[in-house]
Amino acid sequence: MSEIALFGAVEIGLVYALVAVGVFLSFRVLDFPDLTVDGSFPLGAAVCAVLLIAGVNPWLASLAAALAGAAAGLVTALLNVRFKILHLLASILTMIALFSVNLRVMGRPNVALLMQDTVLTPFYGLGIPDHIVRPLVVLVIVAAVVALLARFLASEFGLAMRATGVNARMARAQGIDTDAHVYAGIALSNALCGLAGALFAQTNGFADVTTGIGTIVVGLAAVIVGETVLPARGLALMLVGCVAGSILYRLAVQFALSADAIGLQASDLNLVTALLVAVALILPRLKAKAGVRKTGGSAAR
Amino acid sequence: MIAVQDIHVTFGRGTPLEKHALRGIDLTIPEGQFVTVIGSNGAGKSTFLGALAGDVLAERGRIAIDDTDVTRWDTPRRAGLVARVFQDPMAGSCAALTIEENMALAAARGRRRGLALALGGDRRRGFQERIAALGLGLETRLQDRMGLLSGGQRQAVSLLMAALAGSKILLLDEHTAALDPATADFVLDLTRRIVRENRLTTLMVIHSMRQALDYGDRTLMLHEGRIVLDVAGEERAGLDVPHLLALFARQRGGAEISDDSLLIG
Ligand SMILES: Nc1ncnc2c1ncn2[C@@H]1O[C@H](COP(=O)(O)OP(=O)(O)O)[C@@H](O)[C@H]1O
Ligand SMILES: [Mg+2]
Repeated sequence: MSEIALFGAVEIGLVYALVAVGVFLSFRVLDFPDLTVDGSFPLGAAVCAVLLIAGVNPWLASLAAALAGAAAGLVTALLNVRFKILHLLASILTMIALFSVNLRVMGRPNVALLMQDTVLTPFYGLGIPDHIVRPLVVLVIVAAVVALLARFLASEFGLAMRATGVNARMARAQGIDTDAHVYAGIALSNALCGLAGALFAQTNGFADVTTGIGTIVVGLAAVIVGETVLPARGLALMLVGCVAGSILYRLAVQFALSADAIGLQASDLNLVTALLVAVALILPRLKAKAGVRKTGGSAAR
Repeated sequence: MIAVQDIHVTFGRGTPLEKHALRGIDLTIPEGQFVTVIGSNGAGKSTFLGALAGDVLAERGRIAIDDTDVTRWDTPRRAGLVARVFQDPMAGSCAALTIEENMALAAARGRRRGLALALGGDRRRGFQERIAALGLGLETRLQDRMGLLSGGQRQAVSLLMAALAGSKILLLDEHTAALDPATADFVLDLTRRIVRENRLTTLMVIHSMRQALDYGDRTLMLHEGRIVLDVAGEERAGLDVPHLLALFARQRGGAEISDDSLLIG
C-alpha cells in the first residue's frame, strides 16, 4: 500500500467516523435503527457543494449541511413518533425522498468543486503535503465533534436520551418526554451525517447523489469494528471506538483492494461490507447459543 | 393529597375484548397517608395506579393532586408529583446505565433537564451518602451497571430513587412480588422507613392480606373495578385476615367467595 493510499484511507475513515458516531447515536443509544443516513450524507454533500459554489463561507456551508441533515432526521422521527410508522420504514421513506431532494438541490446528479475555497484551503501550502493536511484537518474536526458529543451525552439532557433508548417506560415515569428525546437524537445523528457529507465533498472535490448508497452499512461496520477492538463501557471511549473502527475498517478495505492476490475491485466494496456486517451481527448470536448450551439447565434460574 | 372522583377506564373499547377495568372510583387520600391496596387478579389495581400516574387516561371522572387537576396530564408531566416503583425490578431502572446514572435520572424528575453535567458538582457524594444509608454496601458500587444488582437491591435502589426528587406521592405496584420472602420483608421495611422519613402519601398494592393490614394506615380492596372495602383507624386495627374475607363477602352482597379468588398471605 502506498503512503498516499494509506493517508487516503485514514482520511476517508475519519470523514465516515462522523457517520459512525451518528449511527452509534441512533442504533446504540436510542435503539432506533435509522437508515435515513443514506440520504442525509449525500444531502450534506449537496448542500455544502451548492453553497460553496454560491460563494458562501465554507464553515457556514458545512454548518448548513449539518442543519439539512438534522431536518432530514426530524422528518424520520416525525413519521415514527407522531404517525407511528415503524422506524425502519419511516427512515426508508425519508431516504428515498431525499434522493429526489438531493437532485433538486444540486440541479444535476454531480457537482464538482474545483476552484472553490473549502475548510481545508487555509491549511494547504503550510509546507505539509496535501495528502497529510487533509486527514489532519478532518481529525481535528472529528476530535472536536466527539468531545462535544461526549460532553452532551454526560449532561442531564443526554442522560435522559440514553434512558429513552434503554427503558422508555422508566424514562417516562422519571418525567422524561421520550418523544422529544427521539426527535433530538435522530436529528443530531443525521446532522453528524450531513456534516460528514460536507467534509466528503470538500476533501474529495465533488458531490454526487449516488455517494449515499450503503452509508448506513459502512457506519454500522465502523461501529461494530470499534466495539470489537475497543470493548468499553464508558461513553466517551465508545465514541472513540467508533472513530477507530471507521479508520480500521477503511484501512482493511484499502489493504484488501491493494492486495492483488485477493482480486477484489473497488466495486466489490458494498458486497464485502455487507458480508462483514452480517457476520458481525451473526457472531454474537452463535456465541450466545454456544454459551447457553454450555451452561445448560442452570441458566433457567 | 389525592382526590379521585368517579374515574372510569375501558380497554379495547368497541372491540370483542372490551374491558371496563375501572368502574367509578371515588377516593380521597389526605397528605401523608399510607394506603395498602388488595384485590384479586384483574380487579383493576394496576390500572388504578396507572390512572394516577398517567399511563392510562380516565375516560370519565377527575383526578386532582394537591388541588391541581391532572386528569389530562400524561405520565412525564405527572412525574414531578408522582414517583413509582414497579413489580418487575427490571422495569423501574435502566439496566445498561450505572447506579449513579439511574439516581441522577431520578433526581432530575420534574425538573427541566439541561446541559449541565448529570453527575457534576457534589452530586455523586450526595448519592453515595443516600445509598450508604440502605446498609447494602452499594456505596462502593455507584459505577456498576444497574443490571448487575439482584432484584432486591434494584428494588431498594428504586425506592431510594423514588424519594430523591422530593415528589410527595409514591405508587408501589406489588413491588415485592418478584422477590424471595426474606428480601421482600427487607424491601417492605425499607418502604416503611422511606415513606416515614419523607412523609410520602403512598398507595401500595400488595399480594398478602396480612401485610396489607400490617403496613400503612388504611386498606382498600378493589373488585371488578370498584372499591369494595375501605377501612382505617380502629376498625382496621381490629381486623385480621378472616375478618377481612368476611367483610369482603358481605360487601359483595353476602355471596361466599372462594379462598382462591383472593390471595391470602
Ligand atoms: N392494556 C390493557 N389492555 C387491555 N386490557 C387490560 C389492559 N390492562 C389491563 N387490562 C385488563 O383490565 C383488567 C384489570 O387489570 P389490572 O389493573 O392489571 O388488574 P390487577 O392489577 O388488579 O391484577 C384485567 O381484566 C386486565 O386483563
Ligand atoms: Mg397488577
